[in-house]
Amino acid sequence: MNKSIEIMAPAGSYESLMAAINAGANSVYFGIEQLNMRARAANNFTTEDLKKIVKICKEHNVKTYLTLNTIMYDHDITLMKKICDTAKEEGVTAAICSDVAAMSYAKEIGLEVHISTQANVSNFETVKFYAQFADVIVLARELTFKQVKRITENIEKEQVKGPSGNLVEIELFIHGALCVAVSGKCYMSLATYNSSANRGACLQNCRRSYKVIDEETGDELVIDNKYIMSPKDLCTIGFIDKILDSGVKVLKIEGRGRAPDYVHTTVGCYREAVDSYKEGTYTEEKINVWTKRLETVFNRGFWHGGYYLGKQLGEWSGIYGSKTTKEKKYLGLAKNYFMKPKIAEFQLEAFEVKVGDEILITGPTTGVIQMNIESLFKDEKKVDSAVKGDEITFPVSEKVRPNDKLFLIVDVKNDKPN
Amino acid sequence: MPKIAHYREKCIGCNSCVEQAPDRWKISEADGKSILIGSKKKGEVFVTEIRMDELEANERAARDCPVRIIKILK
Ligand code: SF4
Repeated sequence: MNKSIEIMAPAGSYESLMAAINAGANSVYFGIEQLNMRARAANNFTTEDLKKIVKICKEHNVKTYLTLNTIMYDHDITLMKKICDTAKEEGVTAAICSDVAAMSYAKEIGLEVHISTQANVSNFETVKFYAQFADVIVLARELTFKQVKRITENIEKEQVKGPSGNLVEIELFIHGALCVAVSGKCYMSLATYNSSANRGACLQNCRRSYKVIDEETGDELVIDNKYIMSPKDLCTIGFIDKILDSGVKVLKIEGRGRAPDYVHTTVGCYREAVDSYKEGTYTEEKINVWTKRLETVFNRGFWHGGYYLGKQLGEWSGIYGSKTTKEKKYLGLAKNYFMKPKIAEFQLEAFEVKVGDEILITGPTTGVIQMNIESLFKDEKKVDSAVKGDEITFPVSEKVRPNDKLFLIVDVKNDKPN
Repeated sequence: MPKIAHYREKCIGCNSCVEQAPDRWKISEADGKSILIGSKKKGEVFVTEIRMDELEANERAARDCPVRIIKILK
């Protein structure tokens, strides 16, 4: 296995983008305007952002993928073409498409195409079909591991090549949320709220708790878990060796709606896992450590294996929101960074911070810095703790920028139902 | 007369408002977002007055907009 394994991270904000780059992602994916699966997001990127993102990524030697994967109507075609043209012009590595109109236009102008999970590629014949447009194809999250393996073997055997002339590469989701329905085929949000998941407006109402009531008698069924439609999140850190052995080349992390610390931690853990595998040091102990780390950022409980290992029925989340073992509390903003002594200055706006506390610093250029406070100063005097209203300084080895946010990381007691 | 406001920038071009009230809404082929016919831009928002007989259809359009960017001001 000489070819490098690519870790692809979600970039829903500049903070997450930098977190992904700093944690060792090889590529990032992001969307602009309304033709992407996070069209509803409050901070959608624009064409101007696209230029900036590509520039940042090129400087860091990270590939950029533009998501262009909603279903498309006739009235979207002009915008779709405009987005493709811009992507090509600015040097985006590839567009992630699910609609044939988008992939055929991208191919026409020489923009590399990757196939989106929305296309739900579940068999080898479909891989062969899409190979006329695409060099990288993500397989449906609903496949079992054996099915994935068979597809990658067949690509080798039948030498299925994409437009670049190279063998088509297979990409797999390795971490993050799973869809209760088959991706790209869910109408729940549309049917209940006229808000189509397939236009990037999923309201995720499958994540809520539900009651089951007999309409005739009014009797309510007692169910031990009201989250009857909310699957746990996928986590493959424990069998990344099997995934790599099967010939998957691109490992994709879900979560454009997630915070930068999620991106930082997931990318970091999987980067280490892949590197350990290559060095022959992928061990049970390490897996346990990574799993613990992954549990500290947003998750709905992990489904270790997910569909890939061929588990039978879904494991349901049992909670609304996150089951993270740590949470972050906002403390304040950075005011200054003194380069020479590597000291950061912050204005505390809430809570208290002490020597030894675990903290997180995030910013659009900084990305994510996670560390423990080793020493703390107030008015240039050494102190053990500081409270709301104080101006504090402490050493941070990496550069911090004005207005970066400071968070305190604390343990969460998970008393929510499991 | 009632007024409608459209926060156009957030439109995801789903076409629902056009289906509900085709006399007031059309979809732009240029950027794929809907256009509130007869409206004027005020800051970030497009606004127009509508006749009483258009109210019902436009209330449906507002109710069904998935990103809730159509507001009826009575
Ligand atoms: S219903 Fe809302 S999102 Fe859909 S086209 Fe109309 S204004 Fe845009």
